Amino acid sequence: MDILTVSNLTKVYGEGEAATRAIDDVSFTVAEGEFVAIVGSSGSGKSTLLHLIGGVDRPTSGTVLVNGVDVYHASDEQLAVFRRREVGLVYQFYNLVPVLNVVENMTLPVALDGRDVNEQRLAVLLSKLGLRGREGHLPNQLSGGQQQRVAIGRALMNAPAVVLADEPTGNLDTKNSCEIMQLLRDSNREMGQTMIVITHDEEIALAADRIIAIEDGRIVRDERIRR
Amino acid sequence: MNAMTRFTVKSLRANRVRTLVTIAGVALAAALLCAVLTTYASLQSMLYQTEKSISGEWMAVAQSDDRTRLDSQIAYALEAGSIGKAATLQDAGFGELTPEQQRYHGPHLPIASFSGDIGTLCAVHPSEGRLPQEAGEIMLFETWSTSGDDTLEIGDTLTLPVGQRRAVLAPGREGTLSKVASPADWENYPDIGSDEGATQIEAGMLLDSSIGILDSALDGGPLNEELVDTEERTYTVVGFYDLSAYATSAASGMKAFTVDDPAAAGATKAFVTFNGAGSTAEIEKRAEESFPESSIELHTSMLRYMGILPNGGIRDTVVGIASVLAVVIIVACVSLIYNAFAISVAERSGQFGLLASVGASRRQLRRAVLIEAFSVALIGIPAGLLIGIGGCAVTFAALGPSLASIFGAAEVGFALTVPVWVLAIAAGLTLATVLFSVFVPAWRASRANVIDALRGKQNSRTSKRGAARAAKAADPAQLWKHRGLAGRAFGMGGLIARINGKRGTSRGTAASVSLALAIVLLMTAGSLSTFLGTLADVASSGNADGDVTISSAFLSEDDPRAARGSQGQGTEDALARANQGKGAPAAGSAELATPEAAMRAANTCFADEAATFERAYQDLSTVPGAEPLGWVLEGHVPAIVPESMIGDVFQGEGFGEGGRMADGRYASSASVTYVDDAAFDRYAQQHGADAASFHDPEHPRAIGIAKAYGNNGSVYELMDALRTTGTVDMIVGGTYEGTAVSGISIYADATASGLVYQLKPYILNGSGDGTRTDGASDADSSSGKELDLNEVELTTIALDIAMLVDETPSFVSMNGGQLRFIVPMSLAQSQGFGIDEPTFTATFDALQGHSADVSEDLVDRAGTFFHDETDYEVAYLGMQDRVVAAESNRMLATVINVFCLLFTIILALIALGNVFNTVTNGLILRRREFAVMRSVGLSNRQFRSMIMDECAAWCLRGLVPGIALSLGVSFLLWRSVTNSIAGLGFALPWGYVALAGGLTAATIAISVAYGMHRCKADNVVEALRMDSI
Repeated sequence: MDILTVSNLTKVYGEGEAATRAIDDVSFTVAEGEFVAIVGSSGSGKSTLLHLIGGVDRPTSGTVLVNGVDVYHASDEQLAVFRRREVGLVYQFYNLVPVLNVVENMTLPVALDGRDVNEQRLAVLLSKLGLRGREGHLPNQLSGGQQQRVAIGRALMNAPAVVLADEPTGNLDTKNSCEIMQLLRDSNREMGQTMIVITHDEEIALAADRIIAIEDGRIVRDERIRR
Repeated sequence: MNAMTRFTVKSLRANRVRTLVTIAGVALAAALLCAVLTTYASLQSMLYQTEKSISGEWMAVAQSDDRTRLDSQIAYALEAGSIGKAATLQDAGFGELTPEQQRYHGPHLPIASFSGDIGTLCAVHPSEGRLPQEAGEIMLFETWSTSGDDTLEIGDTLTLPVGQRRAVLAPGREGTLSKVASPADWENYPDIGSDEGATQIEAGMLLDSSIGILDSALDGGPLNEELVDTEERTYTVVGFYDLSAYATSAASGMKAFTVDDPAAAGATKAFVTFNGAGSTAEIEKRAEESFPESSIELHTSMLRYMGILPNGGIRDTVVGIASVLAVVIIVACVSLIYNAFAISVAERSGQFGLLASVGASRRQLRRAVLIEAFSVALIGIPAGLLIGIGGCAVTFAALGPSLASIFGAAEVGFALTVPVWVLAIAAGLTLATVLFSVFVPAWRASRANVIDALRGKQNSRTSKRGAARAAKAADPAQLWKHRGLAGRAFGMGGLIARINGKRGTSRGTAASVSLALAIVLLMTAGSLSTFLGTLADVASSGNADGDVTISSAFLSEDDPRAARGSQGQGTEDALARANQGKGAPAAGSAELATPEAAMRAANTCFADEAATFERAYQDLSTVPGAEPLGWVLEGHVPAIVPESMIGDVFQGEGFGEGGRMADGRYASSASVTYVDDAAFDRYAQQHGADAASFHDPEHPRAIGIAKAYGNNGSVYELMDALRTTGTVDMIVGGTYEGTAVSGISIYADATASGLVYQLKPYILNGSGDGTRTDGASDADSSSGKELDLNEVELTTIALDIAMLVDETPSFVSMNGGQLRFIVPMSLAQSQGFGIDEPTFTATFDALQGHSADVSEDLVDRAGTFFHDETDYEVAYLGMQDRVVAAESNRMLATVINVFCLLFTIILALIALGNVFNTVTNGLILRRREFAVMRSVGLSNRQFRSMIMDECAAWCLRGLVPGIALSLGVSFLLWRSVTNSIAGLGFALPWGYVALAGGLTAATIAISVAYGMHRCKADNVVEALRMDSI
């Protein structure tokens, strides 16, 4: 079943002569439980695509259906609710809230949604992410790899429809990169978490089930990896 | 333009609003400083101009007896350039005047021969005609053209004997007289009692024009004077002058000015100026060098206003006020500018790290910030100076005349004066403020750690305590459970805000501090203007209706002053009156032995005076332009008041005149005010009383004044004189061994239980003087004897105080702290309460702008009436033009209010600019953090409630200390105002509290709205990408 349907998605920055088509009529679908890698050179439009799917940016035209619901056919308030329930975002620069500790950062979307924290899931995630004993630490007391694991924990905490990771290892050394990728891979396998990862690292992309290559805002290649 | 400059200019452009607010802050600071200094300079210049117009430009005067040598010294000094300008003045004899001329022009005509520009140097200016230009021409004081039988016109000739004044011994006297020469400048004689500046005058000595008239009959000294060596001289009148020049002594009469007078002899004064003199010592030195062996005086007041002499009362006061204002302004501006730059640097610390990483040295980084400061100053300071000067120009144009008249310089006027040093100091101080404000941020910028900056570490904005708190909040079961008040009120947004407040570094502190500062500044300005306003109100309160009052009193028949007065001129009148028994019979003559007879006589006398004044009032009412409001007759009577009635002012340590007696009753001198019947009836009816009931001669009734503002000698306060109605015993007289006592004083004995008052009748030697009630001090000064109260039979009249009110009839002025009873004039026919020499006061309205003319006419008419129509000797006759007094009070109040208002407005702008800067930037700096939260699902509503909660938190943190501090400041101001007004309750200036609250709330709302707009306008994606670079 398709958990994500992107149809004719276009994003134009600027106007008139200066207009740039960051995303140009892109359509694809992602099935539940799929692990997709989006690759492309810098400026190819892959981050824009990720933000459009994640509901943090609005497209110029086209639709994004997550779980059959049109993401951009919603008010700002509904969009906020969509982000906290259906999407988990992981960024290259972690983007944790500096005043919140590890567990608070991880459970922030749940709390924003006004729901109770699933303690069991939290405990599982903490041990999976190797953050046991660091629950009360603030982001600035953690290393880069640890911070990124918190960010992944935050993305996974809600068991969203799709986790979107934008260069999650871009800021990390090789060892940490491997660990992070392993974590993403594991959560995809073990929890059936649908995962879309942006990277320009071919090796990382090879860990995915499917690679979509983007160039100049268009999909130039969409292939499944056979293991 | 190098890279750093370009970088700076770009960053200024990028933060347009903050840059504008900072420039505005700098401009306001410069404007305020410039305004304060301009006001100071203009004031100084006005005082200088006034001094110049009164006494001329001279800086020093050299006096010498050797005219020839003085002239050659002047010529030499002028040539050498050691003096700027010079003029001389030399006595040229004294004209002998006829008795008719003496009436108008003084005892003699002192003639002075001058040379040089005495117009500029000594402020001798012709009001008509011109200054004399050749020998034989003369300029006279204007009385010669206006007064006397033979007035002179320009072109007329004046022929009179001219001689020298010489001191002679008065008949039967011997000795010398020490007389202080009237100095050109009194301030040179700080110790007037010393011998310095004093001349020992002995008989035979010639007197110069600086020595006043010697008249042993007037001054009691041993010497008189005469004119000797007189010879006839003729002058042609070429001009008149009307302002007595301060430099030329008028001690012996109003001078006449001539030139090259052949008779010029004696001491010559050389008035000189110096170019480019920087100090008093230098002027003194140069004067002594130019005029050795001459006595030198400096024109100290002139030098002071020129800024050459550093000390002096007015200057100190003005400098003091200007410096205090400057300090307040600088503190406010430092906080504004410092905040603006601190935030600007903090926001760009990533940029600085980046710059450092590509090789910018610390010095270059510091320079970037300094260039930013200079760019801001470059625009802000000139703009501020223009605003300041413009503001002053507008203010002075509106208030100039009032200011000038307050400082007594109406003829000079208060003009805008902007010397270069004002601009230099204002610009310099502002620049210093800016540089001081950027010093810390610049230093911080230069220390930016490259790695931290690049990794975004500098954005870690958690405190150590925050980390400890965070560590404790890790129990999964308790996560997000401690909602607290904030969480309950503002939901999830509030909860995050609370966590932010608890764990964050003191980011909100800047906002709180600027908020507290705003409240303090606004409330201080408010309190200041409230209390100063109260001061002006109270000072002008107690003013009764009516534009002009005429007051007078007659001498009683046997007042020794009446006898003395009648010796000279009115002997015949007095005799005639005494013989006919007309007018006031003597109250205490020997044959009126019984108290009843004495009282009857006194009452008849009082009734007659009242009737006379009534006629005078009727006559005055016919003066054109004077609209009569009413008239009163007042006097003081010792009164005994029961304890139940007496007010606080007489109790304990009260300030009232009088107090508790041994028997528990209270004694005080009461003021009885007879108000003309029409006005009394209106007054009684206005307060709901039956006016007719007060007119019964058998049962005198009065209206008592319960409370009024009064001055107890040191402070103004609302004084409570009477508490209830009741009956008061008025002591109208007394007899001692068959003789009427002269008076009854009220006297206090200090006992263990405090002061105990008692009545002390006294009798003056050789006369029974009627009842004198002037109080305790009078008995001491008289040569009478005190009597034992038990041996004196007192005559008392019961006065029914039928009602109490807190105000006098509208045209009667209030004066608190005393017993005051208002009765109708009809009572004067039968009851005078033994009042001797009652004071008559009639009040009139005048047509607008004519109060001065009308009051002159009224006082003339009153004088004529009393002289022609009555047999009484007038003790005094006076008038008061209340319009003038009210006008000057009103002007003072206006000036105070306008200055307070301007000060408040500008301080408010600075304070609120500061709040705007800190609040807005506090939010903008966190926009990436907000973007993160929004990307994980923080809704707009949650965002708003989070910000609102944070606002509420630092508002509370700023308001509470701000209000506490401003209460303290208000209290201190109140304390200083109560040094001159007591009974003024400490009240908060609620209007200003509301204003302060409203303005800060509005500013916060605008700032937050703007800040949130900036945060929201950011695309979440953009904000997230904005990796602090």
